Amino acid sequence: MHALLGENGAGKSTLMNVLYGLLQPDEGEIILRGERVHIGSPREAIGMRIGMVHQHFMLIPVMTVAENVVLASEPRKGALLDVDAAEQRVHELSERFGLAVDPRAYVEDIGVGQQQRVEILRVLHRGADVLILDEPTAVLTAQETAELFKVLRALTAEGVSVIFISHKLREVLEIADRVTVLRRGSKIDTVDTEGATEASLAKLMVGRDVLFRVEKDAASAGEPLLEIKDLEVEDDRGLPAVRGLSLQVRAGEIVGVAGVDGNGQSELVEAITGLRAPHGGHIRVAGTDVTGGGVQGALAAGVGHIAEDRHRRGLVLDFSLAENLALREYRRPPLSRFGLLSPKRMEQQARPLLEQYDVRGGRPETTAGSLSGGNQQKVVIARELAEEPRVTIAAQPTRGLDVGAIEFVHRRLLEQRDAGRGVLLVSLELEEIRSLSDRVLVIYEGRIVAELAPDVSDEELGVAMLGGKVRA
Amino acid sequence: MSTTRDAPAATAAGMPPTRGSRLRARLARVSRAAWLGWAGVALGVLAFYITLPPLLLRTIVPSLVLAAAGIGLAVVALRAGEKRVGWGAVVACVAGAFGAYGAVRSGEANLERVVVWSALLAAALRYATPLTFAALGGVTSERSGVVNIGLEGMMLTGAFFGAWGADITSSWVGGVVIGLAAGAVMGLLHAVFSVTLRADQIVSGTAINFLALGITGFLFVKAYGTEGTPDDLPEIPNVELPIGWIPFIGEGLEQLNLLVWVSLICVAALSLFLFRTPRGLRLRSVGEHPLAADTAGISPIRLRYYAVTASGAFAALGGVFLSIGFVHSFSQNMTAGQGFIGLAAVIFGKWKPGGALAAALLFGFSSALAQRLPVFSPTGAVLFQALPYVLTLIALAGLVGRSRPPAADGIPYERH
Amino acid sequence: MSDEGGPGTITVASRLAGFMRGGGVLIPLVTAFLAFLVGGLVVAAAGANPIDTYEAIFEGSGLNWLFPWVTGDDRTLAALNLQQTLILTTPLILTGLAVAFAFRAGLFNIGGQGQYLVGTFAAVYVGSSLEGTPAFLHVVLAIVAGSLAGALWAGIAGLLKATTGANEVVSTIMLNWTAVYLGSYLFTLGGPLHSDDPAAASIPVSPDIHESARLPVFWGDPELQGLHIGIFIALVAAILFWVLLNRSVTGYEVRAVGFNPDAAEYAGISAGRNYVKVMLICGLLAGLAGTLDVLGWQFRVATNDIQVSQTGYYGIAVALLGRNTAFGTVAAALLFGALLNGTSVRNLDPAVFDPQLATNLTWIIQGLIVLFVSAPVLITYLSPGRLRRRFRRRPAEARAG
Repeated sequence: MHALLGENGAGKSTLMNVLYGLLQPDEGEIILRGERVHIGSPREAIGMRIGMVHQHFMLIPVMTVAENVVLASEPRKGALLDVDAAEQRVHELSERFGLAVDPRAYVEDIGVGQQQRVEILRVLHRGADVLILDEPTAVLTAQETAELFKVLRALTAEGVSVIFISHKLREVLEIADRVTVLRRGSKIDTVDTEGATEASLAKLMVGRDVLFRVEKDAASAGEPLLEIKDLEVEDDRGLPAVRGLSLQVRAGEIVGVAGVDGNGQSELVEAITGLRAPHGGHIRVAGTDVTGGGVQGALAAGVGHIAEDRHRRGLVLDFSLAENLALREYRRPPLSRFGLLSPKRMEQQARPLLEQYDVRGGRPETTAGSLSGGNQQKVVIARELAEEPRVTIAAQPTRGLDVGAIEFVHRRLLEQRDAGRGVLLVSLELEEIRSLSDRVLVIYEGRIVAELAPDVSDEELGVAMLGGKVRA
Repeated sequence: MSTTRDAPAATAAGMPPTRGSRLRARLARVSRAAWLGWAGVALGVLAFYITLPPLLLRTIVPSLVLAAAGIGLAVVALRAGEKRVGWGAVVACVAGAFGAYGAVRSGEANLERVVVWSALLAAALRYATPLTFAALGGVTSERSGVVNIGLEGMMLTGAFFGAWGADITSSWVGGVVIGLAAGAVMGLLHAVFSVTLRADQIVSGTAINFLALGITGFLFVKAYGTEGTPDDLPEIPNVELPIGWIPFIGEGLEQLNLLVWVSLICVAALSLFLFRTPRGLRLRSVGEHPLAADTAGISPIRLRYYAVTASGAFAALGGVFLSIGFVHSFSQNMTAGQGFIGLAAVIFGKWKPGGALAAALLFGFSSALAQRLPVFSPTGAVLFQALPYVLTLIALAGLVGRSRPPAADGIPYERH
Repeated sequence: MSDEGGPGTITVASRLAGFMRGGGVLIPLVTAFLAFLVGGLVVAAAGANPIDTYEAIFEGSGLNWLFPWVTGDDRTLAALNLQQTLILTTPLILTGLAVAFAFRAGLFNIGGQGQYLVGTFAAVYVGSSLEGTPAFLHVVLAIVAGSLAGALWAGIAGLLKATTGANEVVSTIMLNWTAVYLGSYLFTLGGPLHSDDPAAASIPVSPDIHESARLPVFWGDPELQGLHIGIFIALVAAILFWVLLNRSVTGYEVRAVGFNPDAAEYAGISAGRNYVKVMLICGLLAGLAGTLDVLGWQFRVATNDIQVSQTGYYGIAVALLGRNTAFGTVAAALLFGALLNGTSVRNLDPAVFDPQLATNLTWIIQGLIVLFVSAPVLITYLSPGRLRRRFRRRPAEARAG
C-alpha cells in the first residue's frame, strides 16, 4: 500500500493519469513488472491490469450497478448482453472482497460510499492487480473510511498493489506502508510510514514548518446577525434536504458548519443567499426577514456569498474583471443610472479593489477566465467583502487553492469577524473549520445535530458527523 | 409520475424486478388518481369518436356527457396532485367536445369520405415514415451525445440523391444505395465538425441544412434544369399483404410501401441494439458520461463518429422514401421542415426509438388529417397544413414535460 | 438537448465568446474569403469561370459605384444596382441583429423568418387600412404594428422556453412554418385578408398599402424602386442594439445570462425573464425588417412571396459572420445584400452563370460561412500565429470540479 502525498496542485493526479494512459508523458519512463511499457490509453492500461478509481466517479448515473461494472467487457449471450451473468459477477466480486452492493440498483439512487464500491468493483472486474485510488476518502464519513480501509487491506492481502493518493496526513499514516511526497511536480522523498509523523510529512509536503492553526484573537460575540429557525428546504429532486434546521451567527464570530458532503449544506447556503426558496421556517438577517426574498432580498439585507464553485456561480469567466466586480451592484447608482450602465465607473470602482485584494494577473479589462484559480477567488472575495456585508456565507472558499491563497482567504475572513461582522463557514475541510471557527456546528441529514468547540477531538467530531450522539 | 426512467429503484422496492415484472412494477407505481386522469383522457377521445364513422352519432348530447364525466375525473386527478395527466385530460375532453360539435355540424357524406379509418391509417403511416427515419437518426446521434439539427439537410440530401441515383441507375435499389451513401457523407461531415473540431453542434447542424439546400438545389438545376425530374423515375415498390380481412386496420396495411415496413423494422432493431446489446450499452455510456466511458477503455470519438454517420444515413433514408417512394419526384427544399419534426419526435419520445415512432405516428396522423380536412372548408385548407407544426409546438411545451436527454448531449468531448 | 443548466452550463454565447473576442475584423474576413473560395471551386466544377462569375456578381451588386473611375452609363447602372443592394441590405441588417441579440443571450433564434413574416402581415394590414391617415402617422402605426407582431411571435418561443424549458431552436422553426401557412391562409383566394381589388380576384394577394403608408424614397426614382429611408431606420436600430447591449443594465444582464446562467442567477438575474425579454426584442427587430420591406418597396404581400422568402434565414449567416456585433452585422448584411442582388435573375447574365444555380450558390456560401464559424478552432488554425495566442484561454481549471 503506497501513498502519494502532496498539496493541491502538486501533481499527484497528473502523475497517476499518466500511469492510467489518460495523459502522455513528455519524458521519462514507466517500468511495469520489470518491463518498460508505454501506456497510450486507458484501454492499454486496463490491458496491463492497472485500474483507477478517480476522485470524481466515472459512473453513469442512469445505469445500474451491474451495467456500470461490466461496461466495456460485458458478458454476452449470443449478440445480446447477458444481464444475469453480469449481476452474478457483481455478486461474486462483492462476496470475495467484502463490497456489499445491489447489482440492480441505479447508480444515481445509491449513496456515495456505495458508489465508490461500484467503482472498485468495476476495476476488479477487469482483473486489475495495480489499483490507484485518487482521494478516495474525500467524500466518505469516518465509518465509511474505516470500511474502505478494511477492503483495501483485504486487497493487499490478495496480492493487489494499491496506490493511494491523498492530502490527508492522518489517513496516510494509518493505512499506507510507504509514502512518496510530491511538491510542485517533483518527488521530494519516499519514506516508510513507520516512524513518520504528521509534522514530518507536512514539512516534506510544504518545505517549511507549517502552522496548523491560524493565529487569532479571542472571540467576542455580539447580537445575532443571522438567525435561522426550523428551516426546511427541498433539493432539486423535490426531496427534503434541510429539515427543520436552526442556527445563529452572532456579530464578531465565525461559525463553522462541518458535515459530510450531501447532508444539506448546499441547499442551506442556497436558501440563505436567496437562490432557493425554503418551504418552511425563517431566515433573519440583522432583524430583517429574508425568507423567500430571492437573491435581491438577501443582497439588500447584507448577505455576502462566496460561492462554492467560482467557475459556475462566482464569476462570469467571459466578463472582464470590472464587469465581474460589478455583478452584485450593477443595478444601482453610481454604476448605472436610468437603466444605462457606465463602464468607466465600473472600472473606477474596480481598480482600487483589485489592488486592495492583491489580485495579480489582470487589470480591470482583463477577462476573468485568464486568471489563476487563486486570483479568481480573490476577485470573488473582493466583490463580496467590499460591500461590507453583515453576514458572509463562505462555502468551500479555499477549494483548489494553493497554500498562499488559502492563507489570504483565511485572513480576510478573520478580518470580517474582527470587524464585528458574522461569517458562516461551510467547508468539507475539517482543518479549515477548526482553525477558523469560534463554534463548530455539525450538520447531518439536514439538521444541526451538535455544537462543538473547535478543539474537540476527531472521534467526537466524526461521530457527530455520522449522526451519533456526542457526550455533552 | 414525474420520473423519466423506465424501472423503479430496486433498492427502494427491495424486491429486484425481473424483466417482465418491471412493467408490472411500473404499472403498480401509477397512483389511483393518475389512472382516473387517464380514464378522463379516454373519455375525451371517446366523446369525439362516437360522432365519427362508423358510429356517426348525430346528436351532441352523449358526447357532452362523456366529456363532462372526463373533466370530472380530471378534476379528481388534479386535486390529487397529478398535474400533467389532469390537464391532459381537460385538454382531451375540451378538444373532444369541440371535435364532436364540429362533426355533428358537418355533413354525413363529408364525414364518411374523410374518416375512413383504414385510409387514414395508411396515410398516417406514409406521412410518418420520413419522420420516423429522421427520428431514428436523431435518437442514434443524441444517444451518443451529439445533437443533430442537420437532420433536415441530411433528409433533403437523401431525397435528391435517391431520386438522382434511381434515375442514373434506372433502379430504385440504386437510388436507395446512393441516397444512403450521400446521407452518410453528410453525417460524416457533421461528425468531423462536432466531434473532432468540437464545433457548436447546433450551429454546425444549421450549416449542414444550408449546405444541403444549396448543394441539392444546385445539382438539381444542373441535372434537370427547368423540367424537373423525369416522370418515369423508378419507384420503391409497395408490399402487398393478404391481411385485408382484419377489421379496422387490415385494409390500411394491405398495401404499404416497402420502406414503411423497413422503418418499423428499424425501430425494433435500433431499440434492441441500444438497450440489449453490449455495443448499445457502450454507445449510451458515451452519451451519458464520455469521460467515464473513456476511462473504461471505450473510445467516445470513434463511437460518436459511427453514430453520427449512421444518423445521416437514417435521415437520408427518410428523404429517399419521400422522393422515390411517396411523391415520385424531387423539388427544391421538398422536405419542408420534416427533419425538424423528426427531431421533435425524438424529444417527445424521450430519446427512445419506440417513443419516437409513437410521436411520428401522431404527427403523421395530423398530416393525413390535414390533407383531408379541405373537404370541409377549402379556404381553411391551407391553415390546416400548419397543424403538424402547431402540434409539435404543443408537444414541446406541455405534454412532454421536462424529459431528460442523455447527460452529455451537445457537449463536445475533450479529455482533460 | 437539455435546456436546464447543469454543472457549468456551456451556452452558445460562451463558446462563441472566444470567437468574438479575438481577431477583430480579420477572422470574419478570413471566414468569408474561405467560403467564397470554396464557392469559386463549386462554380468551376459547374463548368463556369469563377473569376468572371464573381466579377459579374460584383457588378450586379452595384458596389462598383463606389469606385470613382466608373462613369457615364456604367455609373447610372451601378447606381441603380447599388440602390437595389441597399434595399436588400436593410432587412438583412435587422434580421441579422435579431439573431445576434439572441446569440448574445445564449439563445439560437432561428425564428427570424416567421417573425419577419408576421411583421409583413401586420404591416400590410395596417398599411392598407386606415385610409386618410396623415402619412407620417400612418407609417408610424404600421411600423409599430409590424414590430409588435414580430415581437409577440418570438415571445411565444421565449415564454415556452422560460416556463417549460422547450428548446427554442425547434420551437422557433415550428413557428416559422406556422407563420408561412398562416400567411398563405390569410391572403389566399377567399381568405380573410385577401385583396378586394377586382383585378386581383384570382391572385392570392393582399390589398396594396395606401400611398400614405409608403416610406419616402431618397435616392433614385420611386418609379424604379429607389432606395427608401428604411435603411436609416435599420442603421439606427443597429446603433440602439449596440447601446442596449453594451451600455445598459438590460444588456449587461443579457450578456451575463448568455455567458453563464448560473452566475447570473447568483447575481439575482432571472434567466427565464431575460429569455422572454430577449426574444421579444429579437422578434421586434425581425418584425421591423418585414415592415420596412412592405412599406418600402413591396407594398403588398402575396402568398407566393411568403413561400419563397428567406430573409429571416439569411439573418443567421449575417449574424454569425458579423460575430454577433452591431458593426459586424451591418457589414455582413451589406455583403449578403450585394451577393443576393448580384446573383438575382435581373442582374446576372445567364451566359456567365445561370442565376438559378447562383441562388443555390449563395446557400452553399452561407452554409460554409456558418460551418466555419461553428468551429472557431478551424479558423484560428488557419490564421496568422499572433491571433492564435490571443484565442487561447486558460484551460478551464476544475470545470469538472
